[in-house]
Amino acid sequence: MQSSSPKLRPTAWDSLIVLAVIVLAIGTAIVFYGGLGGGDHITVTITHRGETVEKVMLEALNEEKTVTIDGTYQLTVVLSRDGVWVSESNCPSQDCLHTGTVSRAGQSIVCLPEQVVIRLDGKSDGPDIILG
Amino acid sequence: MQLKTRQLALCAILTALALGLSVMENLFPVTAAIPLPGVKLGLANIVTLFALYELGAAPALTILVARCLLGSLFAGNASALLFSLMGGVLAMLVMIALKRWQKLSVFGVSIGGAAAHNIGQIGAAVITLGDTAVLGYLPILLGVSLITGTLTGFITALLVRAMQNLHLSHS
Repeated sequence: MQSSSPKLRPTAWDSLIVLAVIVLAIGTAIVFYGGLGGGDHITVTITHRGETVEKVMLEALNEEKTVTIDGTYQLTVVLSRDGVWVSESNCPSQDCLHTGTVSRAGQSIVCLPEQVVIRLDGKSDGPDIILG
Repeated sequence: MQLKTRQLALCAILTALALGLSVMENLFPVTAAIPLPGVKLGLANIVTLFALYELGAAPALTILVARCLLGSLFAGNASALLFSLMGGVLAMLVMIALKRWQKLSVFGVSIGGAAAHNIGQIGAAVITLGDTAVLGYLPILLGVSLITGTLTGFITALLVRAMQNLHLSHS
């Protein structure tokens, strides 16, 4: 069962694994962020535990709007023409706050403990987004 | 059989060590220093990788599952179990497969495992959220796994080398 002598120093073949991970990272980055750029017509969708609680077009906002999400933890989401950010959360990880402001299509803020997804979608002039 | 008792004891010690490391990592999260969601050093993976090299695939998988079950019990969080199991088991399977490919060193195996761990956890996040938005984190997490994978690989290499002189696990 034991291999006679495990290789403990990096070999040239290891770089193949590194390369594979880099290719995968770039590949997923292209799939996710490649189609971005359409700066106008961004729709923000906030879902909480699978249900949509807010859906608004950023350019339609004339002033800042706050959305409060109440569950096990409480989150305050601020929406404005310039972007969307989580201003307050009492969750343990604070990942949603660390994400900062998102303003481009394809970006998102995710809160795992409270299962909140704040998603920005572009190219949405009509109500043609179907969220699975 | 003496060897069996020895293996069982070693498995128990390693499980406890992995648990201790993951609890410690939760107390001092890296995300406090680097504001990237979901980034972890994966210190417990050192134990898993070490077990894979010293004891073999089956004991390593047993230690991993025991760590995930007990870890989520400690955290008191059922959804944490899905995350750690999906990340951990996927990483384990990838590492078992990569180790069989004799050309790779512990570094290649470790990096592959770290990347697989992140893919598994993102998979768990997609399942719990029912939303694919989290996939956007994958490129960053994969990039970070190159660093954390190298680090855990390096530490495991040191440990395995030290054990070669001790002959604790296979006498």
